[in-house]
Amino acid sequence: MKKLELAAKLENLESMLTFIRKEAEGLGFDSKKLNQIQLAAEEVLVNVINYAYPDKDGNIEITLIPKDTRGLEVEVVDWGFAFDPLSMPDPDICANLEKRKIGGLGIYLVRKLMDEVNYQRQGECNILTFIKYK
Amino acid sequence: MESKFSVDYKDCVAKIALCGRLDAVNAPVLQDELKKLMGSSVKDMVFYAKDLEYISSAGLRVIIFAKQKVGVDAKVYLVGAQEAVLSVVKMSGLDNFMFIQETYDE
Repeated sequence: MKKLELAAKLENLESMLTFIRKEAEGLGFDSKKLNQIQLAAEEVLVNVINYAYPDKDGNIEITLIPKDTRGLEVEVVDWGFAFDPLSMPDPDICANLEKRKIGGLGIYLVRKLMDEVNYQRQGECNILTFIKYK
Repeated sequence: MESKFSVDYKDCVAKIALCGRLDAVNAPVLQDELKKLMGSSVKDMVFYAKDLEYISSAGLRVIIFAKQKVGVDAKVYLVGAQEAVLSVVKMSGLDNFMFIQETYDE
C-alpha cells in the first residue's frame, strides 16, 4: 500500500497522476486500461482540486491498494466541503450539443471506465475510491 | 509528445490542430485561443486530432464551449482521431454532433 499526500492544486496533478500510473504499470495493466485509470484519476482529482476547498487551502491523500494481482484500488481523500459526486445525475449525453450542460461529464466517465466507484463521508473526510481490474 | 494547440481561422473555417494531451491543465489554454474567435463567422470548425493522445472531460468541455459560444451554427468536425480519444468522445455522446472522419476536404 502506497500513499501520497499533496496540496490540492492543479500544479500537483501531474505528480499525482504519475504516482498512480507507475503503480498500475507495475501491476501489468495494458496500455488501454492504463489510460482509462489515468483518465478516471484525473477526473476525480480535478473535482477535488476545483471544488473541495472553496475558501481555504487543503490536501489530497491518495492511497494505492493492489487487489492481489488482479487489479488496483485508488482511494482519494480530502478534508474539504462534504460532497458526494456520485449523487449527481448522469449528464444527458443525448442532449443537443447547443444545449449540453457543461458539467457532470467527468464523474460520468469515471463510472463508465472503472469497475467499482464508491463514496463515503467519514467525519471530516470525503473518501472516494475506484477499482479497475485487469 | 509536447502538448500544443494552434487555431487558424480563414474564410469562415476554423482549423484547430491538437497535439499531445488535452487535459485539465492545458484545456484552458485552448479555450482562451478559441475565445478569440468569438464574434467571427464560423461555418466549419475542424479539430485535427491525429496527434492527440489523450482527452479528458476538461478537453471535451472545450469542444462543447466552442460549439456553444463560438460556432453555434458551425459544423464541427473531428478529424483523424486515435482510438483512445475517439472512445472517450463516443462515451460522452459528442459523436452525435460531430462529423467524425479521417480527413477534411475544404
